[in-house]
Amino acid sequence: MLSRHADALFWCGRYVERAGDTARMLDVTYHSLLESPHVEARRSWMELLEVLHLAEAYGGSHDHVSARAVSSFLVVDAGHGGAIVPAIALARENARSVRELLSTELWESINTFWLELQSRDLAADLDHQPYALYRLVKRRSQEIAGTAAETMPHDDGWRFLLLGWMLERALLTTRLLAVRLARHTAADGTADDFDFYEAVEVLKAASALEAFRRTYPGAMTVENVVAFLLLSPTFPRSVLYALRSAEQKLDQLSRPGRPSRPQRVLGRLRADLEFADVAELLHGDLHGFLDRVQGDIRGLTDLIAVQFFRNAEEISVLHAVDGV
Amino acid sequence: MRRVAGDVFGGYEQEGWFDEVFAADGSVRPHYEDVVARLRSFSPTELARRERLRDEAFRAAGITFTVYGEDEGVERTFPMDLFPRVIPADEWATIEAGLVQRVTALNRFLEDLYEGEGAAVRDGIVPGWLVTSSEGFRREAKGVRVPHGAHCLVAGIDLVRDHDGTYRVLEDNLRNPSGISYVLENRAAMTRVLPHVFGSMPVRPVDHYGMSLLDALRHVAPPSAGSNPTVAVLTPGVYNSAYFEHAFLARQMGVELVEGRDLVVDDHVVSMRTTRGLQRVDVIYRRIDDPFLDPVVFRRDSMIGVPGLMAAARAGNVTLVNAVGNGVADDKAVYAYVPALVDYYLGEEPILPNCTTYLLWEPDQRRTVLERLDRLVVKPVAESGGYGMCIGPAASDEELAEVARRIEADPRGYIAQEVVSLSRHPTLVGDHLEGRHVDLRPFVLVGETVEVIPGGLTRVALRKGSLVVNSSQGGGSKDTWVLEGDDDKDVDEVVA
Repeated sequence: MLSRHADALFWCGRYVERAGDTARMLDVTYHSLLESPHVEARRSWMELLEVLHLAEAYGGSHDHVSARAVSSFLVVDAGHGGAIVPAIALARENARSVRELLSTELWESINTFWLELQSRDLAADLDHQPYALYRLVKRRSQEIAGTAAETMPHDDGWRFLLLGWMLERALLTTRLLAVRLARHTAADGTADDFDFYEAVEVLKAASALEAFRRTYPGAMTVENVVAFLLLSPTFPRSVLYALRSAEQKLDQLSRPGRPSRPQRVLGRLRADLEFADVAELLHGDLHGFLDRVQGDIRGLTDLIAVQFFRNAEEISVLHAVDGV
Repeated sequence: MRRVAGDVFGGYEQEGWFDEVFAADGSVRPHYEDVVARLRSFSPTELARRERLRDEAFRAAGITFTVYGEDEGVERTFPMDLFPRVIPADEWATIEAGLVQRVTALNRFLEDLYEGEGAAVRDGIVPGWLVTSSEGFRREAKGVRVPHGAHCLVAGIDLVRDHDGTYRVLEDNLRNPSGISYVLENRAAMTRVLPHVFGSMPVRPVDHYGMSLLDALRHVAPPSAGSNPTVAVLTPGVYNSAYFEHAFLARQMGVELVEGRDLVVDDHVVSMRTTRGLQRVDVIYRRIDDPFLDPVVFRRDSMIGVPGLMAAARAGNVTLVNAVGNGVADDKAVYAYVPALVDYYLGEEPILPNCTTYLLWEPDQRRTVLERLDRLVVKPVAESGGYGMCIGPAASDEELAEVARRIEADPRGYIAQEVVSLSRHPTLVGDHLEGRHVDLRPFVLVGETVEVIPGGLTRVALRKGSLVVNSSQGGGSKDTWVLEGDDDKDVDEVVA
């Protein structure tokens, strides 16, 4: 398929997942902090910005941290790629440029979501009922995922959509863990335990609470939470699950023979997770590990772009020209 | 005639025009008898129901104009009239032979100009200055070889019928004629909305167009492409008003729809960027106009073109369809010379006559034209789609004075024609039928043979009394039914 089309589908998937994840985290943070003291609230909002790698961007345009200001920054601010409404606008732009490859149902579910966001009074939502807005975003992004799965042929186009989708998810779940664990990590690298509410909050932010309870009844330890969100082979929002599913798509998209660079990086990363031991990580360098996972996923995105979206042959031609 | 309630034909007036359906004495022309009988059997309510069905069919197929910008997502369907236009086999045989003849001669002319010695100019058939002053003439295309001389591979020739029913050529469209997607979609909708009317008549099919186009495109692939050439459709992008048609054609042919940025030219070879690397492209059905095609050669500010495309075509590594520079042959002043070109290249009498045309750089013709501007049509030579046209009888004194001033300033830039009394066709207006002016744009494909798609786009001036059928000026369309002959022998005789 055309590189431009693959690129658009990949990013369409990423943006929809990003909007859904952001809504999920905003929802949890907002509601868990309703009764918290001010200092605690400030810390949690800063952490959320860090999860999304937006703390710096926020600091550049704001001089104080409040629930309303951060929420607005993460819902409507078009100055960075991470806010919900601009992300859906970008997902729609990408979808529109490959309109001919999408099923009508999929295009309509993306387009009507965008229209819905355009027609809502978002300021009023943020003032009075953020819950309703976040629920809408979560539902619609799930609906888009379902519509794609049910109405698109599972060919290369669908694989690029899912590849972007799953890598974005793996990245955000890893970040969520990294930031939430930071406050529990002592200088020597060892982690103390979550309190109950914190554990619930982290799990909810990944829509994982119910699934976790069934897997680990009654044992909300940091070890179990990390094991579940990082390594669950069956829960679709775990990092390992998302990476496995991305790897499967990548393999199907690649030519047979020696694995390509993105395949090698992704395969190694998936194996690292598969063979990881949580207890060992918690007593060792969990942070370094999560940093490496994030770094690998980001690097992977660039490698995929080089492999599929820009042309290796063309890049070598361009480099030759640059070198003159 | 008084309107009779419940009869869609009640009160229908011919008002002295040539009518496609009714002869001068009011009787139904034989090839319309079945359609008229079927339509008479519908009550106005039933017809209204069918119109809703039609709109649903069009919406479901996505054949709508979408207005982006402030009115986000506003969609309106393309207006297709439910009363089809019917053309009997013998009439069609004449049209077909005339179009094949005309397009063949025009291709010979383009080949002569760009690849040959310019024999028609040398022999005084067309003035050389007229060719080189044409806005559509491209020096940059001189010497670029086009396989089989198929400079114009897809042509749309606009025909009108005058007061006595004679088909005349109104203009040639040899660059990027659009509208074929509506021909196919109109047909698909008609068979769903009025299946019994359609089924009762031997209508020739049109839905093989995509296959025929692909065959013709592959036929002009450069020899280096081998036996399985790669074809792509090149579009300016989603914001182009004809994007629907570009996507439609790519889908019909099963080939990639590419934009300029998807193509890369290296060492005079054109490739598209795919997820499996660069893939060579042999034939490009480009729907980008000449000036925007290649910023190296034409407009440098073009963001939609492909740098190096012309050089690749000149090297014989890719075939551009339609070829570059065809605008010289559909220039409205060059049009006046087409009958002479038919005679010059083919040694034949033109089968389809032109409309009477005046060339304004000739002092005598200009003088008579300026005297009777209010009874003539004046058109700019390089425009298409009805832009810049002045219809004398409908123009105000100020407009006429303005046109006269422009003609004096640039006599080469305009032509004048007698007003053609375009034929009329009954068209649904509310719950009854009224006469509306129509024209016909058949499509001609130049492949191994020259093929005319039976039918074409019948455009209707939906506004009462209007002579302008362009969709941008309130026009609609009709499905066009060409009937099979009683037997082949009859058809052959007419062609001969």
